[in-house]
Amino acid sequence: MPVSLPQLAQLIINGVMTGTILAVPAIGLTAIYAVLRFPNFALASHATIGAFAGYLGNVVLGLPLLPCLGIAFLVAGAVGVLSDEAVLKPLRAAGFITTAIGSIALTIMLESAVRFIFGNELRGYDLPIMRDWRFWGIRIGPQQLENLAVAVLVMTALFLFLTFTRVGKAMRAVADNPTLADIKGINAATVARLVNFVGMGLAGLGGMLIGLDTTIDPLIGFRTILSIFAAAVVGGLGSIPGAVIGALTIGIGEELALVVLSPNYRSAVGFLAILLVLTLRPRGILGQRAY
Amino acid sequence: MPLATRHSLLAYKNKKGEDMSILTTRRAALIGAGGLALSTGLRIPARAQEGPLRLGVLTPLTGAGGFDGPRMLKAMQAVADEVNAAGGVLGRKIELVVEDDETNPEAAVRAAHKLIDVDKVPVIMGTWASAVTTAVAPVCWESKTFLTTVSGADSITLLPHQGYLIRTQPNTQLQATKHAEFIAGLGMKQVYLMSIQAPFSLPMQKRMDEVLAKNGSKLAGSLIYEKDKTTYRSEIDQALRANPDLIYINGYAPDVTIMLRDLYRAGFTGPRFAQSYAVTQKVLDSLPPEVTEGTYTVQPSSDVDSPAFALAEKRLGIKDPDAYVTQATDWISLVVLTIAKAKEATGTALRDNVRKISQGPGTKVYSAIEGLKLLAEGKEINYEGASGPCDFNEIGDVTDCKFRYQLVGGGKFKLVKIS
Repeated sequence: MPVSLPQLAQLIINGVMTGTILAVPAIGLTAIYAVLRFPNFALASHATIGAFAGYLGNVVLGLPLLPCLGIAFLVAGAVGVLSDEAVLKPLRAAGFITTAIGSIALTIMLESAVRFIFGNELRGYDLPIMRDWRFWGIRIGPQQLENLAVAVLVMTALFLFLTFTRVGKAMRAVADNPTLADIKGINAATVARLVNFVGMGLAGLGGMLIGLDTTIDPLIGFRTILSIFAAAVVGGLGSIPGAVIGALTIGIGEELALVVLSPNYRSAVGFLAILLVLTLRPRGILGQRAY
Repeated sequence: MPLATRHSLLAYKNKKGEDMSILTTRRAALIGAGGLALSTGLRIPARAQEGPLRLGVLTPLTGAGGFDGPRMLKAMQAVADEVNAAGGVLGRKIELVVEDDETNPEAAVRAAHKLIDVDKVPVIMGTWASAVTTAVAPVCWESKTFLTTVSGADSITLLPHQGYLIRTQPNTQLQATKHAEFIAGLGMKQVYLMSIQAPFSLPMQKRMDEVLAKNGSKLAGSLIYEKDKTTYRSEIDQALRANPDLIYINGYAPDVTIMLRDLYRAGFTGPRFAQSYAVTQKVLDSLPPEVTEGTYTVQPSSDVDSPAFALAEKRLGIKDPDAYVTQATDWISLVVLTIAKAKEATGTALRDNVRKISQGPGTKVYSAIEGLKLLAEGKEINYEGASGPCDFNEIGDVTDCKFRYQLVGGGKFKLVKIS
């Protein structure tokens, strides 16, 4: 299929938009991995919980978008800390596989709880849907730009937090070398709680950002977890800039694949990327350095 | 006399308070009390000819089909009561032997074996899920038992069933034909079809292409998309490049919702077309009205103008029975009339004679008792059902049925037509 320049630009823009939003929960997954050393699949249900918490803020309390994103972050973060304390922490001693499988069980449990309360039907945020802007044969949605801005802001804030605050540095220290951090007197349990709060909070925020562009139902997190996981692995599980690069790679890769492939093979691109990266660079594009 | 039952909800008495003997034996009861099954099995041959005429019902009373199964059973029981009150068929009363298929192929096969081997039924009516029907059908044709079903998968009637199967649900071919005719009738010249990746996608595309071309319209393009994506912007761009007058989104609610949003954002103002199960009132409620405005929906419909439909409403005491209820009404009516026509209650007699009363030049009848009367007078009949004309082709598919078309306006459905 011959592709014109605006068409190609459109595909890249679409990919950047999708990738940036995917990056937010992917950072959450990778941050938790960096500190606790297991892939926490419960991220899926926390994305769902964030999306529904934001929904309650928006539709029931009538709050505008930004405070709702805050609610999504806080609620998902709080549930993340509690569920980790109650379910995953006791499993960690049994090893990484047990904890990872436990996190799958946890995600099904939490997702079912959301389904029990809200039911299975689709819901939408109480926000107007705007027509896209068009210029030079390209279209961009105002809401997508808004989501993009939110995602970039959150990532910047996280970067500043990890680089310049004491707590952020402590988190990186534990991720880098837990034994050394322990000798230095950093409390690993507190750091674990904190990283769960931030990681699952980001998942919740990401869930709501995805929901803003689509609709929400209890499966919203589950539907996207594979792409999120792919993004984190491609970038280098444990590396936060890696998660961003991984998400953009997956996002843009899936869109550009449409030039040569039928749309029903889109997901295959994500997994092809994992295969390629793991073959050529087994530790991901940026390796596992945690920040 | 009912055996040990698990589904007490099926304990049933007619208006006069007589026990109608719906046997709801479960394999649990059979396993737990093997002797009971044996005694039933031994008893049947002795009284097979003079006792009641036993017909098998295998509907999902639990599982995913648990909403439709019990309603289909009620519809069949109502017809059986009506026939019994008019004297039965071949001088025998009808007795429904009911099993729950649990919407599970494995449970369904065991239940089918029980109906065939123990209860010796000539027919099994009611399988719902395509996976269940696919599993039960070989058991039926191997034992020369007739099967009536509501399952939609095209592959079912393509099984080597030797004629021992009919289905009243329109298959993909019939659906695609009707949808394409409707769309062409709207004056749409260029149609784009976006289908979710599913077994029905390609046959649908092919048939739409043929029928649109025959009706002065054209399939300007089509694509098959993946489910579970957070956005379909690039797919929409691809569709819009074909400059379609109408876009048919053949998917499920989560993806169709995203598509409708993305189409609105992309500035597409033409009509959209989707299946009713993908655009429900809940979906309309979750989207701003301007996004869904001008969306057509379609679903198979009961034949609401048919006298058979009015009779079904009256018999069941409910308004607007849906396609599942009316199809169940038609199965038992067809079975009873075929048995009367063949003067024999076997699976093979049903296979060989069902088309003699369901189609052809005979007098049109709209209920089992009406048909029984004419058959007794030696007349030819053509049963016209509540779900549709009930005319079957050689592989057991209905050749026609009604569809209900609706148009979304202001976030609500408005009926366009049933045809």
